[in-house]
Amino acid sequence: MLDDTETVLTLTDLCIEFPTPRGLVQAVKDLNLSIARGRRVGFIGESGSGKTTTALSVMQMLAKPGRVSGGQIDLGGTDVLAQGEEEMRRLRLSRVAYIPQGAMNSLNPIMRIEPQLWDAILAHEPGVSRPDLKARSDAALVSVGLPVHAGRLYPHELSGGMKQRVCIALGIILTPELIIADEPTSALDVVTQRQVMQTLKEIQEKIGSGLILIGHDMGLMAQSVDELAVLKDGELVEHGSVAQIITAPEHPYTRDLISSVPVVGGASFLNPERRAEAPKRDSSEPLLRFEGVSKVYGDVTALRPLSFTLEGEVPQIISIVGQSGSGKSTMGSIMLGFNPPTTGRVLFEGQDLATMSAAASLDFRKNVQAVFQDPYACFNPFYRVNHALKFPFKRFGLSEGEAHTQKAMEEACVAVGLDPDLVLTRYPHQLSGGQRQRLIVARALMLSPKLLIADEPVSMVDASLRATILANIYDLKDKHGISILYITHDLATAYHVSDYVMVLYKGQVVEAGPPKSVIGDPQHPYTQLLIASIPWPDLNRPWGEGGAEDPGVQEAPTIHRGDVAGFDLVKG
Amino acid sequence: MSRIPRDYLINRLVTLVLTVLIAATLIWIIPRLSPVDPAEIALGRMAAGAGAVENAGEILETLRAQMGIDQPLIVQYFKYIKGVLLFDFGLSTAAFPTPVSALIANALPWTLGLMLISLIITFIIGNLLGALMVWEKTPRLWKVAIPAAMVFTSIPPILSGLLLMWIFAATLGWFPLTGAYGLTVEPGWSWDFATSVLHHGFLPALSIVVVTFGFWALGMRGLMISVQGEDYTTLAKAKGLKPRYILYKYMIRNAILPQITAFALKIGLLIAGQVLVERIFAYNGMGKLLYDAILDQDFPVIQGVSYVIILMTALSVFIVDLIYPFIDPRVRHEVA
Repeated sequence: MLDDTETVLTLTDLCIEFPTPRGLVQAVKDLNLSIARGRRVGFIGESGSGKTTTALSVMQMLAKPGRVSGGQIDLGGTDVLAQGEEEMRRLRLSRVAYIPQGAMNSLNPIMRIEPQLWDAILAHEPGVSRPDLKARSDAALVSVGLPVHAGRLYPHELSGGMKQRVCIALGIILTPELIIADEPTSALDVVTQRQVMQTLKEIQEKIGSGLILIGHDMGLMAQSVDELAVLKDGELVEHGSVAQIITAPEHPYTRDLISSVPVVGGASFLNPERRAEAPKRDSSEPLLRFEGVSKVYGDVTALRPLSFTLEGEVPQIISIVGQSGSGKSTMGSIMLGFNPPTTGRVLFEGQDLATMSAAASLDFRKNVQAVFQDPYACFNPFYRVNHALKFPFKRFGLSEGEAHTQKAMEEACVAVGLDPDLVLTRYPHQLSGGQRQRLIVARALMLSPKLLIADEPVSMVDASLRATILANIYDLKDKHGISILYITHDLATAYHVSDYVMVLYKGQVVEAGPPKSVIGDPQHPYTQLLIASIPWPDLNRPWGEGGAEDPGVQEAPTIHRGDVAGFDLVKG
Repeated sequence: MSRIPRDYLINRLVTLVLTVLIAATLIWIIPRLSPVDPAEIALGRMAAGAGAVENAGEILETLRAQMGIDQPLIVQYFKYIKGVLLFDFGLSTAAFPTPVSALIANALPWTLGLMLISLIITFIIGNLLGALMVWEKTPRLWKVAIPAAMVFTSIPPILSGLLLMWIFAATLGWFPLTGAYGLTVEPGWSWDFATSVLHHGFLPALSIVVVTFGFWALGMRGLMISVQGEDYTTLAKAKGLKPRYILYKYMIRNAILPQITAFALKIGLLIAGQVLVERIFAYNGMGKLLYDAILDQDFPVIQGVSYVIILMTALSVFIVDLIYPFIDPRVRHEVA
């Protein structure tokens, strides 16, 4: 199956364990795998499946107190486990490089880029002269598509995609035999993801090293690697060529992973049969109305004047899609009243957010709830989960006593598919990201809001959980009659959940209409670029070249693809 | 390195002047809320010295005129503000008629010398030890010894001072017991005087270092733990950098940033001196001056010392505001 010319890494019966107060946890069990020079191998699995742990053990960088308890790691003829600390330090980067997941924070914030490339060279080749260092760092930056002057900048002056490229440049600067890329694009939007992955693949082919790509996105894997290793609970459940695994997965878990990826036009993961009435509204005014709202930060226009009306008579999900920097999150924070617009007015049930009375403002807070991207940052780590759920419920005067509060909490947990007995008395750090995100949905649900603003609610959870959480959010509309503004960069999910889609590019709506038209058959060049950038778990649908948007994109006029009742986007 | 923009500089300067003016006003108001009449206190002191005082009423009038407290409050206030700007705080009531500024001028160099040096030493030792508590390559013995040494932090400085005095001065005789310099040397720019000052300053400085290094070490430990968890520290290791290089350039260099702000705030406070340390070592610094002034209800001196403390705090914060963007490139000189 493998063209086994030269093996760069062989794992034999690898076992890794973590001693915890509750006993030994087997993070990796009897793993056997080998990687040939020039091959790209994807490690796919959910968080906790042992994929990062396995990769880190190759560098002897397991987080304490983890340890390799059995087996062998052979890196191109070197027995890794037999190396001392100093030998191991010399191996790192020169023979096995690591491209980290959090490229956002992976560079030393107080050092410019160049010295961070130089210190890596000097740690392995002491005495390299300054002009040589400069020549090599320039060459590395150019090879990942960065301008040379980027080396003189500080990390915070670079965009996420640029930082990720710097990390790739760092990884290849000593031409290692093996590159381990740990979800290198998970923090990037689709367009940038495609560009960065193309760069990584090209450069890996050029230096001919082996590549381990760690991830949980089956589509990205299908388009990026030669072989796939599927991990579950520390065990290798399936290993083979990517074609074989995508077309004929053997293990049920692999089949789950593949089917959990929402694809445009594919079968819906939702059950759209049920319909709920919108909650009784005591206002005849539309639920939410933007009147010429724009936002300018200094010289940067985050949002161009935008007017729309969401009636709210029938619950709807309106999606706002776009890359990072398109202004979609700015729009979300304006809707929530956290960020005053530069021009125009935002009206909630006819009342201007800017001039609302204190009482109306409290009412607004109850009626408009939010689910944010980072489920880790949304809980006060000091309190148990039930406190976090209880507090707003009581604060808004919805509680009719302890028993009633308890019942409401339990119902909300059940509604999002969590067992209240298991989660309510825990602390946030004891729960997984997916559980936390579902609790945020439960907390919003308890307040029976009229409008929910969901800003990238599933971008930080495992692909296999995304569908479940989106189904929970969809239920809010379906069973509870809540209107939802869904802000996302993920077009496939927007395609399935929404009634109406607005594509935002540099603060401007470029295409809008029902999802079947806008995403299913995009007309605007920018929407087409977004769709083309999605990696599909389908080998017959090539990912294409990672091109940037062409300059004419912004000049193209807004394309309106039809209306839906209850939502009116002002044209022009 | 960028230059400091003029708008930013002006903004910070205005903030500095306003802070000092408001604080100076508060210092002026607070004693005036007290029912104590400083003239009566001075009279009482005279009476105690002379046994009895005739024509007390006249003397009181004279004293009030000399102290300037016979005038309307508003006149007093503007005179005071004008005086403050020229470092003229009036006359001490306890050491009447010595000007307060002369008392401060005598005490300030001693405190500045002793406190600044011990603060810098404490800052370096404390932060280094705090960093070593976290670093994974620290020898095990150190990891045990450093927390054990923290015990000293819980000892009041007066006790550590007395203990050090007893061991090193009284028993071993290595250092003098009290005073800021030897009685036999003439103050001036001479080698003898300098060595005498260092010799006398050693024990008070040591007692301060011993009891305060824990403050920096514990703060640094917390900061180091979060830096240790940062992705850039992980990547530094994956780059195969040498552990000691990672410790200095990646970990300490980032963790120290908040400590520098704390350092600036401490500079202002240390002018108040370690009152008790100066007291036991009979060290004629600001702490002792303030302590005596409080006992004597010597308001002008209390005002003067308080003003100097505020001025130093405001100045050191001002300086940190200016230099911070140079040590942390993420922070920019921006007018808020």
